Amino acid sequence: MDAPRDHSARHDELLPAYALGALDGDELREMEEHLATGCAACRRQIPLWQGDLEELAASVEPVEPSAVTRQRILKLAGKNGKETARVQAPPRWLALAAALLLTVAVWAVWQQARLRTEAESLRAERARLVEQVTALDRRLAQAQGDNERLAETLSLITAPGAKAIQLAGLGSSPGAVGHTFINYSQKKAIVYAFGLAALPAGKTYELWWIDAGGHPVPAGTFDVDENGSARVLVDKVEGAEGIKVWAVTTEPAGGVPQPTGETVLKS
Amino acid sequence: MDPRPTHETDLMSDLMKRIGAGDSDALAEVFDACSPLVLGLLFRILGRRSEAEEILQEVFLQVWIQAERYDPERASPRGWILMLARSRALDRLRRRESSRRREEEVAGQAGLLAVHPLGTERLEAVERRSRITSALSLLSADQRHCIELAFFEGLTHTQIAERLQAPLGTVKSRILLGMNKLRQTLSA
Repeated sequence: MDAPRDHSARHDELLPAYALGALDGDELREMEEHLATGCAACRRQIPLWQGDLEELAASVEPVEPSAVTRQRILKLAGKNGKETARVQAPPRWLALAAALLLTVAVWAVWQQARLRTEAESLRAERARLVEQVTALDRRLAQAQGDNERLAETLSLITAPGAKAIQLAGLGSSPGAVGHTFINYSQKKAIVYAFGLAALPAGKTYELWWIDAGGHPVPAGTFDVDENGSARVLVDKVEGAEGIKVWAVTTEPAGGVPQPTGETVLKS
Repeated sequence: MDPRPTHETDLMSDLMKRIGAGDSDALAEVFDACSPLVLGLLFRILGRRSEAEEILQEVFLQVWIQAERYDPERASPRGWILMLARSRALDRLRRRESSRRREEEVAGQAGLLAVHPLGTERLEAVERRSRITSALSLLSADQRHCIELAFFEGLTHTQIAERLQAPLGTVKSRILLGMNKLRQTLSA
């Protein structure tokens, strides 16, 4: 039993047209589905029909190919060998050139990627260095300012005739202390205050001296830093030799011509 | 299995094995033996010499590349090559506009047909062609025409019916009867 159950006379009728390629539509589908079952009867028949068709193909009048066609085919097969002919490979020099170009292209891409990474790294490094330089500039400017102030202070307090006067805390700032360095010849004074409380908004500290006539003279306003410290330079101290008292009061922001607030430091 | 093994078939089968192993001399032998018939078939289908020669190159390049795929159980070497050629030619034909199909008249190409030297193989080929020509002559003109339209132009039952403006059933019947008669004659 080599024919499946569904093989029938109808399949025998369809086979010649199927082998010829003339079936279409439902008949073609029907035949293909039947062949997909692996029908042995059909498998035996199809080569026979194909053999007939080969005879039909051989019924044509032969035509001699041109010498060029023959040369092309045999050159391709004979000269280049089978593997070469299969892929119609380019000449060896072209393959080498292509390989070289590919290598160069890969190297160029790699170089480009490497340089891009390097450039990004350098840009980041430059930004970091710029930031560092800016910070150093800031610190240098601050150090220069500190230095200048220190030099100014040293110049003032070490000059002949300089005098130091101590101020003590009062009222709400009993722990505060102050030092006034006065240079009579230069008519300058520097006041250092320590331990003063930070003031609320709208308030400021104001420095005073009391002249020989007992009148308070305003010498400038100041705020303290986070440590409660401050340094005040007084450029023109009139009647320095007659000054009896140095004092600091709390006043409205901007200062006042006459003391109105609490005295927190006094000599 | 090839239904009609011959001396030519045995010789060609050996050549196909050599081609499969990369022997270009074998390809030359197969080309010389088969190319006139293959080109004749291509020319018959395409009707243009230049196009037929172009497809001929493709066919023999395919033979060179795929010779190891050739299965002697399914076809003779010559039959395999002819069917490769037919398949490629019909593909080309289908891509072409039908109105331009026959620009080059077969009659105008008569001068290109060559007479082959009659060696043993050539004689065998001539005998085979004579046999199929005789078998075809036993068919009715309508049967032969339907079979030729299907084989050389790749038309289906429906397309042949449209071309001939004949009932579909009549076309099916002509093909079936014609193919059966061909079988009887060729296998006799």
